[in-house]
Parts: sequence; structure tokens; C-alpha cells
Amino acid sequence: MKEKCITIKAEDLNKSYNGVKVVTELSFTVEREQIFGLLGANGAGKTTAIECLLGPKAFEAGSIEVLGMNPVKERRKLFERVGVQFQESAYQEKISVGELCEVTAALYRNPADYETLLMQFGLSDKKKSCVSELSGGQRQRLFIVLALIPDPEVVFLDELTTGLDAKARREVWRYLERMKENGLTILITSHFMDEVEILCDKILILKKGLTVFSGTVKEAVEASPAENLEDAYLWFTDEEGTNGKEEQNHESL
Amino acid sequence: MRAFRTLLKIECKLSLRGMDMVIFAILMPVVVTIILGAVFGNRPAFEGASYSFLAQSFGAVSTIAVCAGGVMGLPLVISDYRNKKILKRLKVTPVQPGLILAVETVVYALYSICSLLLVYGTAAIFFGYRLEGSWPLFLSAYVLVIVSMFSIGLMVGGLAPNTKTAGLIASILYFPMLIFSGATLPYEVMPRVMQNLADIMPLTQGIKLLKAMSLGLPAGEVFLPIVLMLSIALICTGISVRFFRWE
Repeated sequence: MKEKCITIKAEDLNKSYNGVKVVTELSFTVEREQIFGLLGANGAGKTTAIECLLGPKAFEAGSIEVLGMNPVKERRKLFERVGVQFQESAYQEKISVGELCEVTAALYRNPADYETLLMQFGLSDKKKSCVSELSGGQRQRLFIVLALIPDPEVVFLDELTTGLDAKARREVWRYLERMKENGLTILITSHFMDEVEILCDKILILKKGLTVFSGTVKEAVEASPAENLEDAYLWFTDEEGTNGKEEQNHESL
Repeated sequence: MRAFRTLLKIECKLSLRGMDMVIFAILMPVVVTIILGAVFGNRPAFEGASYSFLAQSFGAVSTIAVCAGGVMGLPLVISDYRNKKILKRLKVTPVQPGLILAVETVVYALYSICSLLLVYGTAAIFFGYRLEGSWPLFLSAYVLVIVSMFSIGLMVGGLAPNTKTAGLIASILYFPMLIFSGATLPYEVMPRVMQNLADIMPLTQGIKLLKAMSLGLPAGEVFLPIVLMLSIALICTGISVRFFRWE
């Protein structure tokens, strides 16, 4: 059996804004070649958790290791091997697809060949187009290309498929699975349970910053009275407010 | 270095695509030079002056681009890139986010240098202008003006909470300075009261310094402008470094 190799490790992560806890005691590990799903409603703390994991946001307590490195102290070394796509993707107005790829590649010492990536993701003919003129699906594919330009071992993708139509989402899934087969570790956030069910090896469900479930999709369904992940997710997060599960001791606003 | 070069190349392209700086930093100073040359010709600056009106204004006109880049271009691009999360994005790459600030500073410095060359070329070819003072001194003064004006821009861009505020502050700084510091409307033709008001603007002091250097005037009057420009550069850079908002 292949030795288990921990790629991302978070321990007891805590983060609050103005005294309000946004992330509480978050702990999880992601192994190599896994797709890990960080789930939760809007405002559950997914994006904050990612930003703490990657370093731009300081956290109060806990520890984080990505590829055995501290993302703040070993930032320059770590981010040669990590690709990131934030929820709202950052690019200059009027920049073309080719230019954005070129400039991204220039930030890394040994970047992947972006021409090949663009070809793989069906964007070769869009090189001269302005990024802002791409369709939603094309733009999300471009953002995956950008996250892959570092030739990374780990990628973080925040709500990659939000705003895409069904066909475009399927396409993105196919690419993610191919990336995994190529040996990548992927952390995604999502609130679409269908894609989580198909893609994720392990999931963690956040509710107001608290971990309400951590394990595989199968375990999540088994641990709840529900029969599929969507119902189980709703049960865990109690979004319908119908189950009598005891209210967790989170601080309310 | 490769990151810097590629970023510089692309940022220059994007800036040229925007056209604003081409109009305000490249075309406008040349047009002003032509107007001043055509209207005042090579008449002496005032009765009995040893230098022409155009020679007197050369230093001033050469700062139009510095003003446009420093207090308009820089603050706008910095707050825009913060707003678009480009600064934050760079934090999850191997490069320092400050790299983009260095690149933008160089982009606007390039506009200033191009403008200086074009203004000089226009004045020299069409109106027979020659710099009376020493080139090294004039260029040193020019660099000082760039440094102090750009430091104001970095501070405004670095501290403004959003693009709207940055735009507002930039306009408040840019338009009065462009018109009343002597960059376009010659300081020498302003009434006394207006001159006194203009004196509080940092660019006015910079222009006085450039005027003295370009005409080869005695160095006695330049002490105050030099101290002022240096202080502005130090204070504004200090504040930007301390309080810069990356997101």
C-alpha cells in the first residue's frame, strides 16, 4: 500500500473579527492525491478558513502546515508549489488571456507551460481575448489554468463552479478529476452537494465557523438520518431548522 | 527580475491601452509647449530678462507628466488593484506584493521621462530652446520632483479606503496643482495673491527648483524647495510604508 502522505494539516485553528468567532477549533488533514471539500453555507467561514490556511489572514490560535511548511514563514518557498484561486478572481481590466497567463508564469521559478494548459482547457483560441469578455465557463477554466501555472502539488479552489450552468460545471468536474489522477491534492469549497458527492474523498462541514462534520461522504450520510448527502448536509447545518438537534454553543452576533 | 520585467512590460501595455496617461502625460505637455512657444515666442520673460518666456516655463511644463502620474495615475492604479484583489492575490505567490508597486512607479516614471524628452525636443526644434543651466543639476532636481510627487501618490493610493475616495483625493490634488502650481498657467503671470496661494503646493516648489536649475540661476533661492521636497518624500513614504493597506 502506498504510504499516506499528509499535504495539508490544520490544527485547532481559531479566527475572530472584532471579538466574533468566525472559525472555531478547525482541525483537519488532507492526504496526497485527495480532493478535500470544505462545505458550509455562505458566511459559514469557508473563505476565511482558506485565507487563514494560506497566510493572508492572521489567525489567533492553532497551527497550519502545507507540504510541511508554514505558509507565513516559508511563503516564498511554499507558493512555488501551491496554486490558488480565490472566489473573486483578481485580474487587471483590459488584460488579455495570454497576457494574464504570461504575467502569472513570470512569478514562478519553474512554471508549467501555459500554452499547453490553455490547449488542454480548450482556451487556445482565446489567447488574444480580453479576460472580461470570456463567458462564465471559459473564465472559470482560465482560473483553473492560472492555479495550475505554478505546476503545483496542491491547489486551493474557492467556489470554482458558482455561477456556472450545469454543462460548464460538469466540464470543470472532469478537469478536477483529471488533475487528481495526475497526482494533485485539491482543496475546494462548495455549496453544491452534487459536485461534492462526485468529487470529494473527504469533506468537512462548517456551520458558523464550527466543525459539525468531518469524514467521507458516505460517513456523513450514515451519521445522519438522511439518505443522500444534500439532506445530510442540511441536517448537519440545520438550515431548514427542523431537526431538534441541540444548538451548538457558538456565539451569536 | 524576470517577474519584474514581464510585469513591467504588461503593465506598460495595459496603461497605454487605457490612453489617459497618453493624453495627460504625453500629448498635453507637448501642446502646452507649442502654445507657449507660439504665443510668447522668444520674447524675454520680462523686460530686461536675459532668458525667454519659454525658457522660463520649460521646467514647469516638464512637470505636467510628473503631476499626472504621481497624484492621478499612481493612486488610482493602486486603489484599483487593491479593490480587484490583485495585491492580495500576489500574497499567495512567491513574489513580494510590493513588486507591483515598484512596477507601477517605474511605469509612471517612464511616462515622465518620455514627456521630458518630448517637451525638450519640441522646444528645441521649433523654438530654438537650449537649457542654460547644467543638465546634471536639472536632472537631479527632476528626479527629486518625481520622488516627492510619487510619494504623495503612493500614500494616497495606499491609504484610501476605496477607489472612489482615491479618485476624489487624486482630483483634489491633481487639478489645482496642474493649473495653479505653474505647470500649465505660468506662475509668473499670476497676480500676487494667487502666487501666495500657489506657494503652498508642493509642485510649485518643485517647479521653482526646476526653473532655477534650467536657467542656471544662483543656488541661493533653491534651499527651501529642496528641503520641502525631501521632507514630503520622507514623510509620505514613511506613512505609506507604515499604513499601507493591501486589502
